Amino acid sequence: MLASTSLNVGSLGGLIMNAPTSNSHKSFLLNAAKSFPSLTFPSKFSGATAWKSATPVKTAVAAVDSSDPTEKEQEQAEKKKYYFVVANAKFMLDEEEHFKELMFERLRNYGERNIEQDFWLVIEPKFLDKFPDITKRLKRPAVALVSTNGPWITYMKLRLDRVLQESYEADSIEEALASNPVDIAFEKPEKWTAPYPKYEFGWWESFLPSKTSKV
Amino acid sequence: MALVKPISKFSSIIPRIGNSRLPSSRFFTITMSSTTQSQAATVTTKKKAGKKEINESLLTPRFYTTDFDEMEQLFNTEINKNLNMSEFEALLQEFKTDFNQTHFVRNKEFKEAADKMEDPLRQIFVEFLERSCTAEFSGFLLYKELGRRLKKTNPVVAEIFSLMSRDEARHAGFLNKGLSDFNLALDLGFLTKARKYTFFKPKFIFYATYLSEKIGYWRYITIYRHLKENPDYQCYPIFKYFENWCQDENRHGDFFSALMKAQPQFLNDWKAKLWARFFCLSVYVTMYLNDCQRTAFYEGIGLNTKEFDMHVIIETNRTTARIFPAVPDVENPEFKRKLDRMVEINEQLIAVGQSQDMPLVKNLKRIPLISALASEILAAYLMKPIESGSVDFAEFEPQLVY
Repeated sequence: MLASTSLNVGSLGGLIMNAPTSNSHKSFLLNAAKSFPSLTFPSKFSGATAWKSATPVKTAVAAVDSSDPTEKEQEQAEKKKYYFVVANAKFMLDEEEHFKELMFERLRNYGERNIEQDFWLVIEPKFLDKFPDITKRLKRPAVALVSTNGPWITYMKLRLDRVLQESYEADSIEEALASNPVDIAFEKPEKWTAPYPKYEFGWWESFLPSKTSKV
Repeated sequence: MALVKPISKFSSIIPRIGNSRLPSSRFFTITMSSTTQSQAATVTTKKKAGKKEINESLLTPRFYTTDFDEMEQLFNTEINKNLNMSEFEALLQEFKTDFNQTHFVRNKEFKEAADKMEDPLRQIFVEFLERSCTAEFSGFLLYKELGRRLKKTNPVVAEIFSLMSRDEARHAGFLNKGLSDFNLALDLGFLTKARKYTFFKPKFIFYATYLSEKIGYWRYITIYRHLKENPDYQCYPIFKYFENWCQDENRHGDFFSALMKAQPQFLNDWKAKLWARFFCLSVYVTMYLNDCQRTAFYEGIGLNTKEFDMHVIIETNRTTARIFPAVPDVENPEFKRKLDRMVEINEQLIAVGQSQDMPLVKNLKRIPLISALASEILAAYLMKPIESGSVDFAEFEPQLVY
């Protein structure tokens, strides 16, 4: 009974998914025991917090701050490939509401299974400078969905369709996800006929790299 | 698959209309059926072993079957060396992740809500659960068989079909447990054997199932988001599961999108455009007519049926325009006016069916109504369509600004 009740509460939890929870550490530990069904609930809330503590971003920040050369070398050895799809911000963050659902579904899943987050939304990414063929066809501001999981980006290209897909390599996660700060604002849709309100402005903030590295 | 398998299955019920695949005749059959009592599905009363029959509803989904040999040919990696597998491999990873593995867990709220429900809402709910369960189960059967048949020739595509049948079975089972709250259960084994199967060539299976999955997503998510905003109408807890649930539907649709992209001959000629528009229209019209006969259900959960349907149609059409080479212009106000006229005519047809007249008189009365309906549908079909499709195929793609 506990299991089912808690799951039910969890399914209502979308609204407060990003709210900090006092027992996040506890649920994070419990998540390791996957077979225990009641854990769906706590993990849903702890997801965001759980991976923050485990994400390599923290390590990377430490490495940059440090003057220890051996640590820097280690960083360089970790040259990683990043895959992305990109389009204008209006399309990515405002129009495609199913995209928001997919992002939170994935975040929930990573939380439940204690997987380190490997996908981010980057507003006006610096890496775009390497892709003049893309930038000349892109309305600005642009938003990229970046991940180290190549097949997932291929899937997201299939889903979103009206996006450009590419990949690049970077020495560190900061370099990979660096962005030029820009303010985003969307005009309200002319006519909104859906029997529900739009998703709230700013839903994407939980996926910005700044959120993952400065906790 | 979805709440609704929008393509009705009635061509077989009314023999004098025949089984022609021509667009207009299929529409006849859809509407005609609304006046016909169809065969009953078995619903067993659980607690008392007695069997109670309920009428199979108009929305009862088709059970599909297809040309499995042709499917094997289409996706045989030996024959089609150029088959683009990257999208399939990406999809397989998504399906393997199994996002909803632990999602479908019931609680005691279900039974409590069911006990509180009284007629007529109770009856509508039972019908809704039964229809939805049958729809999901029909998806399970088709995908399961495709998974089995394609195993040797294309293991990746086959595994995706198997994983989709896993989702469908899970959905159907969850709905069937919902029926148990009302002391009923669908005999799925019986359905498997007793139901008629509709044959569609693979190309048409792709169109029909793609639309069915995507429209299912839009129906579920719309109901979910509406009820989240208006929790007073949350009269049965199953709706709370829809947000995660419908992500499965949406992903299934993506897979059919990839299947069609791998077979561009189904997307890139004038015939494909005509069929794409036809399938869209038949799905939208069927849903609209059927839902307008069940306004009590939608009003029962606080929705305006026509507004709900138009929202679902417009969104499904926008989604579908990312893959189908042409779609109807459903955002043109004339499209809704035509739908509304079809509803009026359909209501008259139903009234004829329910009258006390002799069968011959009924049929004579139907003739002018059917021709009126046919001309509305044909006019909707002939409305200027919207050229569409994936940007991966678009000739103008290099000029496109993203």
